[in-house]
Amino acid sequence: MNFPPPRPNDGFHEPSIDPARLDANWRAISVELDAPRPSWIERGLRRLGLPATVTRPALATPSLRRAWYVAIALVVIIGLVAADPDDARASAFTLLFLAPIVPLLGVALAFGPDADPAHEAHLATPTQGVRLVLLRATTVLAISFVVIGGLALLTDVTRPLAAAWMLPSIGLTAASTAVMTATSPRRAVGLVGTAWVIVALIGRGAGDDRLGAFGPAAQAGFVAVAVVGVIITYVRREQLDVLRGVDR
Amino acid sequence: MTAAHLHVESLVVRFGDRTPLDGIDLLAQGGVIALLGANGAGKTTLLRCLATVLRPTSGVVRVDGLDPARETERIEVRRRLGYQPQDLAASPSARVFDALDYLAVLKEHPDDRRRRSLVATALDEVGLWDRRGDRVGDLSGGMRQRLGLAQAIMGSPTLLLLDEPGSGLDPEERQRLRTIVAGRRTVATTIVSTHLTDDAADADLVAVLHDRRLTFVGSPARLAAEADGRTWTQVSPPEPSTVRASWLLPDGRHRCLGTPPSGATIIPPRLEDGYLLLTDPARSRQHMS
Repeated sequence: MNFPPPRPNDGFHEPSIDPARLDANWRAISVELDAPRPSWIERGLRRLGLPATVTRPALATPSLRRAWYVAIALVVIIGLVAADPDDARASAFTLLFLAPIVPLLGVALAFGPDADPAHEAHLATPTQGVRLVLLRATTVLAISFVVIGGLALLTDVTRPLAAAWMLPSIGLTAASTAVMTATSPRRAVGLVGTAWVIVALIGRGAGDDRLGAFGPAAQAGFVAVAVVGVIITYVRREQLDVLRGVDR
Repeated sequence: MTAAHLHVESLVVRFGDRTPLDGIDLLAQGGVIALLGANGAGKTTLLRCLATVLRPTSGVVRVDGLDPARETERIEVRRRLGYQPQDLAASPSARVFDALDYLAVLKEHPDDRRRRSLVATALDEVGLWDRRGDRVGDLSGGMRQRLGLAQAIMGSPTLLLLDEPGSGLDPEERQRLRTIVAGRRTVATTIVSTHLTDDAADADLVAVLHDRRLTFVGSPARLAAEADGRTWTQVSPPEPSTVRASWLLPDGRHRCLGTPPSGATIIPPRLEDGYLLLTDPARSRQHMS
């Protein structure tokens, strides 16, 4: 289609546009169109109303997503191990014993130079290490709760027992973040995990009830461990804010 | 926006029985400072202390009067800081854009549109916008260095600390790095660590880190002038014990540094000559005694 050339007296004028502003606007449009989309997990959480300041630090790095995947895989394995239709008490013990270890492993994969290659660059940002540690620990705990909780309700575990692993999970996670202020995340998780295995096995052998380690008194103990763990983590938070173990 | 005022006094860092930094003093505001030193001289340790990620054993570090040893002031320092560690190191499976966007969140840019715009600007400035969707692991070493630079300059910091940013860059990329750093001269105090004297030639100041201290802080011209009258050429190979350093030139003559013999052909010194004389082990021994 051919248009006639514009006549000089059409009344059209070259609009006065600030090139810098035009450039900035074009860039903003281009960024919105061309920026890669976040992962499906992050998009889902954003739709639920969580801000990027929570979802990005919690999920953006592959090491964190790996922590999620490991947690989910372990949950499935635990479900298979725990399901013993002939012995409901044995199933319950296996579930309650193994479930608190899941978030612990997730925490080990979620913070520190071993888990995150950009750890040193993160430390130099205004977001404090303690905030990242607690945010990621909470994320791993939350996903573990949803998946293991669902699993426990589906198996032949009685309803009150189905929740009996939650306080141990919170207690162990808080204990590991507290120990993390003194040593590397992986070593901290190793120490706390070992302590848990010993305590749970002693608890199982000590009384007539193999689930004694998850009774009301023990649950109160895990609340105390969680509170003390969070307090120690907060008081010693500066240790999570600097490089440790460097010698150059 | 004003370039950060940096004040370092009697800074000491000890790792067990090793003392890589012993009495560092430095005062700077604005401009580009090249931190020059041999491999293992302590450049990374010094930059880590200034970047607030390593706590010095003793001494004073202040950024705009703020003390990084105090929590609230450390956070405020970090708001003004852009830091490129020597081994930046985003996860290999992260996408370029996401790796930077994540750091932008940690740098307290909560607004999605503004943050994405900052990320895009930084990627564009270092020439990586076209690789925004690639995995970090698929980038070349030079591109990863540029990604490290992009995260450091994002958000226009007033204190910019770059640890060996030129390593692995080809000549064109090094030129881009120089342009980026020079463009921030008036708005940021920039410290660039390097072991290459060529990189230091464009700086406003050169600080030579040697023997655990800053043994020289001055202009590149002044560093070269340290070798005034002590650089010469001669035809015959010099006696090694009489020179600090010597090397064979393409024309078959020997370029020598040290105390010239009588009748030697004195030539104009370069930055490297001044640096080599300053870091002369014999001079260090004299200094120790």
